[in-house]
Amino acid sequence: MDFSLNAEQQLLKDSIDKYMAERYGADQRRQYLAEGTGFSAKVWQDYAELGWLTVPLPEAEGGFGGSVVDTSVLMEAMGRSVAVEPYLGSILLGAQLIALGNNAAVKGRYLEEIMAGSCHAAFAYQERRSRHQLDAMDCRAERSADGYRLSGSKTLVLNGAAADVLVVAAWLDDAYTLFAVPATSNGVQRDAFKLMDGQRVANIQFDAVELAGDSVICEGDAALAMVETVIAEATIAVSAQAVGAMEKLLKETVEYSNTRKQFGQPIGKFQALQHRMVDMYTATEQCRSLLVRALCSHSGGEAQAASDTAALKAMVGKHGRAVAEEAVQLHGGMGVTEELSIGDYLKRLMVIDTLFGDSDWQRRRFAALRYGPQAA
Amino acid sequence: MHATFSAEELAFQEEVRAFLRDNFNDDMAARIRDPKTFKAATIEWQKKRFDKGWVAPGWPVEHGGCGWSDTQKYIFDSALAEAGAPDVPPFGLKMVGPVIYTFGTEEQKQQFLPGILNGDTWWCQGYSEPGAGSDLAGLQTRAERDGDDYVINGTKIWTTYAQYADWIFALVRTDNSGKPQQGISFLLIDMRTPGITVSPIIAIDGEHHLNEVSFENVRVPVVNRIGEENQGWTYAKALLSHERTALSGIAYCKQVLNNVRKLAADENDDGQPLLNNPTFQARMADIEMELMALEYTELRVLATVANGGAPGMESSLLKLKGTELQQAVQNLFFDVAGLYGSVLPADADLSSLGHDYGDQARREYMYGRACTIYGGSNEVQKNIIAKFGLGL
Repeated sequence: MDFSLNAEQQLLKDSIDKYMAERYGADQRRQYLAEGTGFSAKVWQDYAELGWLTVPLPEAEGGFGGSVVDTSVLMEAMGRSVAVEPYLGSILLGAQLIALGNNAAVKGRYLEEIMAGSCHAAFAYQERRSRHQLDAMDCRAERSADGYRLSGSKTLVLNGAAADVLVVAAWLDDAYTLFAVPATSNGVQRDAFKLMDGQRVANIQFDAVELAGDSVICEGDAALAMVETVIAEATIAVSAQAVGAMEKLLKETVEYSNTRKQFGQPIGKFQALQHRMVDMYTATEQCRSLLVRALCSHSGGEAQAASDTAALKAMVGKHGRAVAEEAVQLHGGMGVTEELSIGDYLKRLMVIDTLFGDSDWQRRRFAALRYGPQAA
Repeated sequence: MHATFSAEELAFQEEVRAFLRDNFNDDMAARIRDPKTFKAATIEWQKKRFDKGWVAPGWPVEHGGCGWSDTQKYIFDSALAEAGAPDVPPFGLKMVGPVIYTFGTEEQKQQFLPGILNGDTWWCQGYSEPGAGSDLAGLQTRAERDGDDYVINGTKIWTTYAQYADWIFALVRTDNSGKPQQGISFLLIDMRTPGITVSPIIAIDGEHHLNEVSFENVRVPVVNRIGEENQGWTYAKALLSHERTALSGIAYCKQVLNNVRKLAADENDDGQPLLNNPTFQARMADIEMELMALEYTELRVLATVANGGAPGMESSLLKLKGTELQQAVQNLFFDVAGLYGSVLPADADLSSLGHDYGDQARREYMYGRACTIYGGSNEVQKNIIAKFGLGL
């Protein structure tokens, strides 16, 4: 049992903490957001040069071969700064699925460029009726003379607008199949949106898109299992991001309470407010503990990894929102302005709650794993 | 970052489980639960652990500790919870023991530590007074120097198991001139000394756990003082952080939840096991997830302490969250018992009810209301975290 970061992970943490401190102030963040793509190409290039884009990808593919602990270190720091780069959509989902698949041609076409920062990926899996159910989808491919023909539509694809390659989940002969689809293919129609936390997403329509014969990344039960693994790891990583955001909110709120004066004293001297900040602290520490727990059981391949991850995401969803709402309240009128960044954290934590199963869904999953017929 | 056990640790886990199979059973658990047999059974259980050398995991080896790593302590606590075995009473082993080996004289260590370890000496804690509860530093029990003795006058209250105790460790006022925290001394007092009267206070569960202990011209040798005169607050504070960590009750909560899960699988709820009811599952899941988190919060604190840190506000966090969870599992336990939880055993032959846990559920719920009050109320813990942890 050991909860500390190893030397390599500590270096990774130091490097991203330093970068974020220098390059990710609230004003800088606003500049990045204002760019056409919703993030700064320069910052993404920095991520590439610092090696962060390679972190989760297997060594065999030229990646760093990092674990979910490594990606959580990065995502936590990004959470502290509410970073807007599409690390989740492009690297943890899109690139990781390409890398873990068994199609050498697709890997050769994209991975090197993705790690260099010159190519973006995304994972198009969610449809209007899916909510959190992976196989609730209608997207379908059929075999054609030269390969496949893909039809259907995906919604709210993270990094869908900037992506050069889309990993698309679709049925092929009733088998769950992942295809690599060049985003500029004929018949691909993308409508880009902003999410409230600054992330960009796209609705994507596939209208009889012709795909080459070597487009399949993985198919059948293996494909679904691979997606479940990648989503499980991404679930832990976004939870790490939430913990980073919660810690930052608590720190900001305490600082504000110690400086803002009313009734002749700093408002932080009022016990009613002190106890609310203690509740924020308790909730944050509890989420941090579940993060450590899930990282440990996931890294160790233990049987309880699934229920630990469900517990983590359920608690981060619930407490993350509560901590952010309290932070807004304790900042008073300033908390509901765009002048302070408190609202940016609230929005990010709300988006994180909706990703990969919200708090209620994860709690139900946890209960099924722990109390259901299949529980030990 | 990992939580896997090494081969040696797995072997240790097996050894602990085997020890529990051989030395703890349902009969002993029942005798510890029954107030009539509580003391004898508790001492019997402590002696079994003492004979094995496993009674004081947190103590340094030279004083009789186990020399275990944090992982071993975790394995041991988890195995206790699995087996439904309670921990030994905290007053000697987790409260006064560490104070004696940290601040006591060589003579005090030789006199008191063996009895604390082997269970021969039952200790109680004389802190709170009728006029000094959360504001403990306001205590007024006076100790006046007379030759080689102190003469004690005053009243302590909420003294758990004073009726069983051989000794009491008490905070007394030896000086009134400075700040309330100054002028307090830490004394070890033999409960057989003339002038001590123990009066029972019957608690909300109908049982006698609590007492008022009054001191009337009680003579205590000065050699029974811990450390310096007027420095007792410092020693007490060191103890309090141990105490609060001990009060988290994580192993207890795990035990109750395991039990609730089994019982709820057998209770009928509209033709289905209660355990299948989604509302019940959601409630239980909320508690269990918080408990899983707190278990790791405690492990993280232990790891910090092992690396040279001291449990400061983290011990307040463990007390705060742990006692909230104790009450949450007690609520759940009581609700699973249903109306059977309301039956008073004096009025019914429990075996005729066909229900054997309602009485326990009721008593644990009722006495559990105290846990957010004792050891420094949870509101005081929040004040401590706010001031010393968050810097407010």
